[in-house]
Amino acid sequence: MTPPTSLARRAFLRRVGQLGAAGVATPWALNLATMGEAAAADASDYKALVCIFLYGGNDHGNTLVPYEATGHAQYAAARLTLATPRENLAATALTGGGLPPGRQYALAPQLAPLKPLFDARKLALQLNVGPLIQPTTLDQFHARSVPLPPKLFSHNDQQSVWQSSGAEGAVHGWGGSLGDLALAGNGQSLFTCISVTGNAVFLAGAQAMAYQIGAAGPVPISAATDPNGLYGTSTACRDALQLLITQSRTHVLESDLNAVTTRAIAAQGSLGRALTGGPDFSAQLPDVVGAKARSLNRQLKMVARLIAARAALGLKRQVFMVSLNGFDTHDGLLTRHPALLTQLGAAMAGFQNAIDAIGMGPNVTTFTASDFGRTLSSNGDGSDHGWGGHHVVMGGAVKGGTFYGQAPAPGLDGPEDVGQGRLLPSTSVDQYAATLARWFGVPEVQLPWVSPYLGNFSAETRNLGFL
Amino acid sequence: MSIIEEKASRPTAPRPEPERVDGPNAATPGAVPLVALSALASAVLVACGGGSGETDSRLGAQAVGSRSAGAGTGTAVPPLSAAEAARFLQQAQFSSSAAEIEQVRAIGMAPWLAQQMAAPLGPTGWQWLMDQGYNREDIIFDSQYSDFMAWNQLITAPDAVRKRVALAWSEILVVSASGLDGESPSFAMAAYWDVLNTHAFGNFRQLLEAITLNPAMGAYLNTRGNQKEDLVTGRQPDENYAREVMQLFTIGLYRLHPDGSIQRDGSGRPMETYGPSDVSNLARVFTGYDLDETGHARATYPVAFRNPMTLRERLHSRLEMEFLGARIAANTPGAEALRLALDTLFNHPNVGPFIGHQLIQRLVTSAPSPQYVARVAAAFADNGAGVRGDLRAVTAAVLLDPEARQGTAHQAPTWGKLREPVVRCVQWARTFGAVSSDGGWRMHDWSDPSTALGQSPLRSPSVFNFFRPGYVPPNTALALGGQTAPEFQITNETSVAGYINFMENAIAFGIYGSSTSKLWVPSYDAELALSGDPPALLARLNLLLAAGALSQATLDLIAQAIASIYSTGANTDWGSQARVWSAILMVMACPEYLVQK
Repeated sequence: MTPPTSLARRAFLRRVGQLGAAGVATPWALNLATMGEAAAADASDYKALVCIFLYGGNDHGNTLVPYEATGHAQYAAARLTLATPRENLAATALTGGGLPPGRQYALAPQLAPLKPLFDARKLALQLNVGPLIQPTTLDQFHARSVPLPPKLFSHNDQQSVWQSSGAEGAVHGWGGSLGDLALAGNGQSLFTCISVTGNAVFLAGAQAMAYQIGAAGPVPISAATDPNGLYGTSTACRDALQLLITQSRTHVLESDLNAVTTRAIAAQGSLGRALTGGPDFSAQLPDVVGAKARSLNRQLKMVARLIAARAALGLKRQVFMVSLNGFDTHDGLLTRHPALLTQLGAAMAGFQNAIDAIGMGPNVTTFTASDFGRTLSSNGDGSDHGWGGHHVVMGGAVKGGTFYGQAPAPGLDGPEDVGQGRLLPSTSVDQYAATLARWFGVPEVQLPWVSPYLGNFSAETRNLGFL
Repeated sequence: MSIIEEKASRPTAPRPEPERVDGPNAATPGAVPLVALSALASAVLVACGGGSGETDSRLGAQAVGSRSAGAGTGTAVPPLSAAEAARFLQQAQFSSSAAEIEQVRAIGMAPWLAQQMAAPLGPTGWQWLMDQGYNREDIIFDSQYSDFMAWNQLITAPDAVRKRVALAWSEILVVSASGLDGESPSFAMAAYWDVLNTHAFGNFRQLLEAITLNPAMGAYLNTRGNQKEDLVTGRQPDENYAREVMQLFTIGLYRLHPDGSIQRDGSGRPMETYGPSDVSNLARVFTGYDLDETGHARATYPVAFRNPMTLRERLHSRLEMEFLGARIAANTPGAEALRLALDTLFNHPNVGPFIGHQLIQRLVTSAPSPQYVARVAAAFADNGAGVRGDLRAVTAAVLLDPEARQGTAHQAPTWGKLREPVVRCVQWARTFGAVSSDGGWRMHDWSDPSTALGQSPLRSPSVFNFFRPGYVPPNTALALGGQTAPEFQITNETSVAGYINFMENAIAFGIYGSSTSKLWVPSYDAELALSGDPPALLARLNLLLAAGALSQATLDLIAQAIASIYSTGANTDWGSQARVWSAILMVMACPEYLVQK
């Protein structure tokens, strides 16, 4: 089955002529006003989406725990020793709309920093979301009578499917597609899509590309830029080196490599200047807590600094990606998962504080994503690969304090259980992405550019409502 | 985990190294004699019709002898050039010294390779850790000695071809020191590394079994401590190893043709190799395993992390296991179930193309032709003596294939691969004789792309390796052609800067592991001798580092740039040294070097 947008993209690329051969973003030749108005906004307008990717497949079962007594009992019966005792959840039990009568959820105790945000209606919870090609029932899944996403339950592929609708090898993600629509409105458009983690398909568009920045900022290549020259000795060598690593090449691998280096040098100067003297945010997002490095804090701090520098770079729409690794909790779930959630909860709350501190709360929406949810049943000290899971959406524009989507049965063998408590998603990633995209400014007609399977879902379900 | 409590009171005296069952002197099943190997290389070339007589005969004397046509017509065969020999060496190992280049030219590539593969296993990583005295209680939870060990092995081991191929295997059958916790992680990593080296030129079936029962792998993918299902509580076996051994280590997700292309059904959909039920069933096979503590002494002799994991039959699933069309009857003893399961995986027709394709990517080119994959897969299926899975034959097929050996003039402008940062660094160290200033080899985890190499041996971020074989770099010319380039997955604006900065310091001042310990080149004697003759210096660097791949324009550019540095010609002169350092850095930063062709 061909995703509708791959055809649309091909047609689109034909219209704009070929893609820039390698690397350096060619100016967006098209007048985007004819295609959309994502970028047609007034000067004060700024919006950013921040994706926190939880690599490894977050154990949603212990992230958002059924709290009503009967539901918790069913959850505990399925999880065995993995269950979080109900008495440990009292402080993080949530009271909010969107759930069937009698149902209740509590955040994992380590996510306590997120409860005030939920209560302040800045944070919403999207239940059981995952990749789908069309609405799918359990019977349809078992009969394989409808198309299903490729390579379910496989880490690398489901990371890619979440980010791009395609399995490993995909070259366009929906963050990048959002970037495509935003390029024209941005001054220094290279900074439309920024990854503070490694390379990921999420931020790759047809034209927009992921600019990768270190958590400590852009890294200068001193050998090619030092005023004193290479080894403080030779400006001739410095200049020769710069030419070698930036010149165009006929060999394609060499050419693509030099394109990356060219961008690195070009970006480092302007970005370095824009970041200089800006707010630091170390109070909200410390690098180290209790002698342990907090990778997610460092990444989100860089995102906050970049958002603070938006005006100097002439940016109106940005998509960011950060990540936290280690969620593949086949074992040690009771020690490893709480440690990860501790990092996540503190980083998300700290980031919201940082963004609020610069008055950008309503302009920035943060959301989580992951390879997949996990099994509810236990393998003794961990859980296995699943499908749907619960996710968090946070920001001043979020209609928070509420649950969205359908609450799955709290125990095993519910109507969405495809085996061992793996959840058949009741909400698709395409609906999730489209809801974020609409807020970002993408008009209805262009949503399939971002969410290729959106048309397979009925019109009234395409907006999940959390923004 | 139990070992922590149980072993605290054991005596801690070091023990002599016991005879290892899987040691270097054990017979290697399926290994073929040198002559057969050369004949195989020749047969491969003849069969595919891809090699010219010229290329063919350069593989070695035996190959010439086996081709009467070439010999009979008396066609003059130009000798293997130094650049061709260097190019082969840089694919087969890390570096190419002048002496090695001459060796290869003298005896031919195939015989040289056969000699290297037949050479005994060098000193083990395990023994190195013991010799360095890292078997201590105070550092029992520290994994950094795995880094010291790995860098030391890659840079100093005499069996460089084995080490290069083992590094490739460490990126296919991945265990990462970053994913191990608990006791003695450095020793566990060393034992894992030693398994890869021991079996690198053995048989894949034995490699697969050894890696399945390796304690580091057991911890990484959860076979260690994995228990059978509990029908009362609903507890299920851990599926991690069962899934990844199929997806990553043996067969992959889709059925493959022998040339590595995906088989499709009547509707054009890729045909999957397995489904969730295969995973759940195979997971039962890997239940009941845990550490074998025979001979173990906490910290001082942590051999439980080297002994193959042992089966606890009472924790092993007794259920029937049905997967990949095979059926293991209920109540089959665990060892027999494992044998049947690994045989099933080993004999799956996907293994040859699936593994062969990845070995080609690791050593030679990112996007090999289907014919190249098919030839390597054929060598996997049959080494010429009727043996399946002979890794000497497979490695030889990868390195001696006509596509690997074709000259740059015959290559498409997309052929080749980006050299990995680890391999670049090891090449520098080996080429110029870098040494540890204090013998401590404090070479750390250099994975940070901002401040270091962006990659470090045995430090993959996950079982999916640093980069995926199917990775297509977005927003590139490669993406327009849908071409894979795995190493680009760790190439970005940060990493390209980090690498050049790291090497700038390494080349001139060394790599500091602490304020008092560094890996450095004490003196670039041969290069300094040429510092007064920049074109000659560049010719040397071009051969040793880039196998002659640098264009004349690049050589001229660098030579002219360094000639502008004032130098008295004395070796100790700052100007002479700056010329040499600058030339090496420019070569190692330029794209013609970075893309190995």
